[in-house]
Amino acid sequence: MTDYDDVWIVIPVYNEGAVISDVVEHTRETFPNIVCVDDGSRDDSAARIAETGAHLVRHPVNLGQGAALQTGIAYALAQPGMRHLVTFDADGQHRVEDAETMLAVARSGEADVVLGSRFLEQNEQIPLLKRIVLRTVVLLSPTARKLKLSDAHNGLRVLNREAASRLKITMNGMAHASEIVGFLAGSGLKVREVPVTILYTEYSRSKGQSLINGVNILFDLSVRQRGA
Amino acid sequence: MVIQIILIATAVVLFVFFIRSSHSVRTQAFKRIGFVIFLFLSLDAVLRPNDTTWLAHKVGVGRGADLLLYMLVAAFAFFAVNTFLRFRNLERRFTDLARAIALRDAQAPTANRAPSGQAHATAQPPAFPAQAAREDTPEPETSLSGGSSR
Repeated sequence: MTDYDDVWIVIPVYNEGAVISDVVEHTRETFPNIVCVDDGSRDDSAARIAETGAHLVRHPVNLGQGAALQTGIAYALAQPGMRHLVTFDADGQHRVEDAETMLAVARSGEADVVLGSRFLEQNEQIPLLKRIVLRTVVLLSPTARKLKLSDAHNGLRVLNREAASRLKITMNGMAHASEIVGFLAGSGLKVREVPVTILYTEYSRSKGQSLINGVNILFDLSVRQRGA
Repeated sequence: MVIQIILIATAVVLFVFFIRSSHSVRTQAFKRIGFVIFLFLSLDAVLRPNDTTWLAHKVGVGRGADLLLYMLVAAFAFFAVNTFLRFRNLERRFTDLARAIALRDAQAPTANRAPSGQAHATAQPPAFPAQAAREDTPEPETSLSGGSSR
């Protein structure tokens, strides 16, 4: 069994009380260090996390997933001995096995950043409409094309310490995914994509971002740098 | 017509103002100068309404009231952009503040459940030094926080 003491899992959590303890416990069978960032949830997410073996960081108010990720990254960076961090969605749609594969790539030194992609291998699980929309987002994003990425909005990512400490997410909302890709494109870090499988359960389907939210993401991005 | 040039120039200035990534003290000063000029012009327009008609004819607008409407649109657009930028600045600071609080109050898992005994032996001490959150956050520019420019 591989030793993951220097790996931190960052899970942004918002109103996931129904599943979060299962996700954390399952992940902890492999990864000992987990930090959950409760983004001001209105349900019992925080209490559920406190029952598990994960570290808990609570935003006093809801700020958005991007802000939660950045908080989790800041927390992980402050922990002694942290060398890699993995961002993970709270709804259980990512597989721990995929995270391990990606970590192996990152540890080999092949890449500073490893991104999960739903599209590198044919994957029938993704609903057709969602596939079309996600593909369009990639096509519309010049930075994603520059890095030859096939999937800009996957929540499963592995960053080494250098990449994590340079990343500063300022888009609090959902546009952070494209912001991260933009950062990577300009950073000179080595980026690799690894095929992952997304478990589209009933639960994650009901929680997933609605497609219309893509409009908000595009708007946020287009005014991202304006008047910082 | 002169008014077309003026209005287009206004739009261009607004655009530049919007995309400039840093707002310096100079920008702030220009905003205030503009505001004072605006005040004097409105005084004049109230006391001597015919002046607006005279000026309107000079720049190629039919009536003074039309000129006022154009100016109002320009002023409103400026107000909207300025407010947007200021809100965003505020949101950024607010996020930093909330993050610092969150990290200060972070809870490590209780000792008996902790898998590996590093960094969180006892219950209470915060696992994170609060100041690390703001390590290299640049000091936000001050120009948008001034009170009087609008």
